Amino acid sequence: MPESDLSEELKKTGVDILKCMQCGVCSGSCPSGRQMSLNIRKIIKKAYTNDKNILTDKDLWMCTTCYTCQERCPRGIKIVDGIYKIRTVAVREGTMLSEHRKVSHLLLETGHAVPINEETKQKREQLGLDSLPETVSKHPKALDDVKIILKSCKFDELVSKKE
Amino acid sequence: MKIGIYICHCGLNIAHVINMDILQDKIKNEFEDIEIVRDIQFMCSDTGQDAIIEDIKEHNIDRVLIAACSPKLHEKTFQQVIENAGVNPYLLEIVNIREQCSWVHKQHPEMATQKAFDQIKMGVAKLKNLEPLEVKKVPINRDILVIGGGVAGIEAALNLADAGYYVYMVEKEPSIGGKMALLNEVFPTNDCSICVLAPKMTEVSNHPNIELYTNSEITEITGSVGNFIVKGLKKPRYVSEDKCKGCIEECSSVCPVEISNPFDYGIGKIKAISMPFPQAVPQCAYINDEYCVGCGLCRQVCPADAVDYEQKEEEFFFNTGAVIVATGYNVFDASRKEEYGYSKYPDVITNMELERMINASGPTHGKVVVPSTRETPQKVAFIHCVGSRDETVGNPYCSKVCCMSAIKNAQLLKERHPEMDIRLHYIDIRASGEMYEEYYTNAQSMGIQFVRGKVAEIQEDNSGKPVLRYEDTLENNIFEETYDLVVLSVGLETNKDEKISSMLNLSTRSDGFYTVSHPKMRPVESNIDGVYIAGCASGPKEIQISIAQGSAAASKAMQLLSKGELETDPMSAFVDTDKCTGCGICQDVCKFGKIKLYDHKAEVDELSCHGCGSCSAACPEDAIYMRNQTDAQIHSQIEAALEVKDEFPLIVSFLCNWCSYACADLAGTSRIQYSTNIRVIRVMCAGRVDPEFVLTAFEKGADGVMVSGCRLGECHYVYGNYNAKQRMDVLKDVLEEIDINPNRLKVEWISASECNRFAESIENFVKELEKIGPIGSEILEAPNAEHTG
Repeated sequence: MPESDLSEELKKTGVDILKCMQCGVCSGSCPSGRQMSLNIRKIIKKAYTNDKNILTDKDLWMCTTCYTCQERCPRGIKIVDGIYKIRTVAVREGTMLSEHRKVSHLLLETGHAVPINEETKQKREQLGLDSLPETVSKHPKALDDVKIILKSCKFDELVSKKE
Repeated sequence: MKIGIYICHCGLNIAHVINMDILQDKIKNEFEDIEIVRDIQFMCSDTGQDAIIEDIKEHNIDRVLIAACSPKLHEKTFQQVIENAGVNPYLLEIVNIREQCSWVHKQHPEMATQKAFDQIKMGVAKLKNLEPLEVKKVPINRDILVIGGGVAGIEAALNLADAGYYVYMVEKEPSIGGKMALLNEVFPTNDCSICVLAPKMTEVSNHPNIELYTNSEITEITGSVGNFIVKGLKKPRYVSEDKCKGCIEECSSVCPVEISNPFDYGIGKIKAISMPFPQAVPQCAYINDEYCVGCGLCRQVCPADAVDYEQKEEEFFFNTGAVIVATGYNVFDASRKEEYGYSKYPDVITNMELERMINASGPTHGKVVVPSTRETPQKVAFIHCVGSRDETVGNPYCSKVCCMSAIKNAQLLKERHPEMDIRLHYIDIRASGEMYEEYYTNAQSMGIQFVRGKVAEIQEDNSGKPVLRYEDTLENNIFEETYDLVVLSVGLETNKDEKISSMLNLSTRSDGFYTVSHPKMRPVESNIDGVYIAGCASGPKEIQISIAQGSAAASKAMQLLSKGELETDPMSAFVDTDKCTGCGICQDVCKFGKIKLYDHKAEVDELSCHGCGSCSAACPEDAIYMRNQTDAQIHSQIEAALEVKDEFPLIVSFLCNWCSYACADLAGTSRIQYSTNIRVIRVMCAGRVDPEFVLTAFEKGADGVMVSGCRLGECHYVYGNYNAKQRMDVLKDVLEEIDINPNRLKVEWISASECNRFAESIENFVKELEKIGPIGSEILEAPNAEHTG
């Protein structure tokens, strides 16, 4: 896979991070940053200096995409849209947290990121509902279709561990 | 018609490349109506000039063509020469055979000679169509209107009045002095603001040459440079300016209505009858009729019997020759930054409120207190860039003064309370005036702390104290810090006086401030003749710059009005009323507002027309003429250039006088070599190029046409090249429709310095046209050519 130029990739999606003046409003505003090591300003700085370490940095996945930083950015940078893009590049280049990988495999297998379990089935019955909702859980044929769609999008390749 | 043609050798500058003998022979053999052809070594020398004058007298020559250096160098010189010999100075055509011929085609002397001949032929064609023009002198009004009585307006008015000009100053507030009158001390000298300003305010009110209207508004301005007709409205202050002695205590102490003082930005209280501030000019009370209950107590106690509830608004009228717009700015409304809680948290205030508190004549008599506790704060934060450098509130610009004013107020606090913990939260410190960096350093030495990072938000803690959340970006750490008092260093915004801008037809930038003619070279001139802009009306500025601009605007106004008459530009547009159908397109095209429809006929204000020609190119009836840039003259040049096609490809190019033609000249002085294939027609603006000129050129056999103007956004006439762009874009579609390859039309936006690009552009165009083939070749290949045979 060709080496990606992060700031170029971001520019293509209309996120002009080169305008950043590193004022720190994003990091100061970040609710996640209060509790953990996430510093959104530093992620943006690494991205515009094309520092590839950002792709394997766990902090990249700590953002809850609440958009407070994007709302307040005085340079009008679409910060969260940028985070999404950087994550896309990271996954494309093989970096993914194991938790996300697990969830992705669940999606591949069951058609749900959070598949139905016995407990939920019972609760549904208690409420007088069918034990299974009108989703792929109930319709195995539809699940096959979902799997075909995911496969034709190469989702399975994307989330499989790369060596 | 007796034409004299003079060809300059310029030493060897021209004669080294262009063969003078061949050139002269060709002219003598091929042209009619030529009385005399002469070559002169140095035409601009005294002997050269004398030779022309002698010829004119001896041979009764009535039109002169000079083939020499660029007209930008000696057009005026030779106009003077022929005028001295009794010929109308506008019956002159200069053909540029040095900068745009001999210097740029050194390797091709034969083709350079041919090109020189073609350019002279085009010149003769135009010369035959020239008309004698006259410079008209029009008497004008020498008085000046100054709108706005802040420091910039005051400076302008005093400069003018001292120089003997009569000034009308109109101020919408009850006192002049503007924002400066409300400030405490001012950077970088820490002068007392009102102490340096008050004497000037008094001088304005006492000056015999200044007529002051406060509490007044301009309601209408018509007319144009030299004669603006101004109407205004003086609102009632319900106190007679003639009688009031300004003692104020007497009346305001009995007034039962207490309101927040707008001149203290809401923190102080005043009565419904009050004075804006103690040093107000005029020294006259005013009653705020929104709140006055009409109890009559003030009238009873006034020792001068000055209170007059019956006062009515009064209209006023006067005429002036020039207008200075010094309408200042508004302070950013901090409540728009919701995350800082201004107007919700009592102890978050603005820099202007702090100014009023520090001010000895302010509401706290100079004592700085925490609003919620009335106690002296121990810990104070300043937040920079509130409402500046912030696209979320639509203000991407730096307000220029807020860093310095925050540093100044921090210093004043620290001087009074050395133990006070003061921190300035900044993004970048802008301290770039004289003595500003030293001022900043001094603040650091005093122990004031600077924290880098824009504050993200303010919350209140349990005791109601403001808590700042921010990242110190130099420490890479997020902090939450509690303060007693937070001061928002608010930015400057346009005061959105749309009435003034529409009355004067002023344009504004995307940031809302007024546009000046040129941001660097003409800082106080507007796009409208006779209208000048000073101070913050054209963008945030420090006091010293506003004062300098006030002086500059005054000087510009004097330069305009000193002679008491104005000369019309004979090159202005004029309307053939027989042809004009009153469609009004020209009125829309002229963004200077110098064309108006009267009785369904367009009329040009010839005194202030800039002569770009955009209107003429736009007129569907060809009813607007540009004197000595007429359609007939330009068509004759096109035809002369193409009468004999002596080169392939042959390109007719229209170069705007200010950038592209100057750029072609620069290519010459830089000796940048390019192909001889272009024949140049100089126009005042790319906006003058009527699409019809381009079509005519193709019809007469041009292989390519080049239209070149200033870079977009840099047009000498502000909007002319945008007009040109719009027309040329449409024209390309038209060319396609009529089976002419649209790439035969090249449109370029080139600055006067981009001579390499100019030369490259011609080289590339020549190559491209070589590929496309001679004009007409695509018509043979076109799909519908089969039908036409």
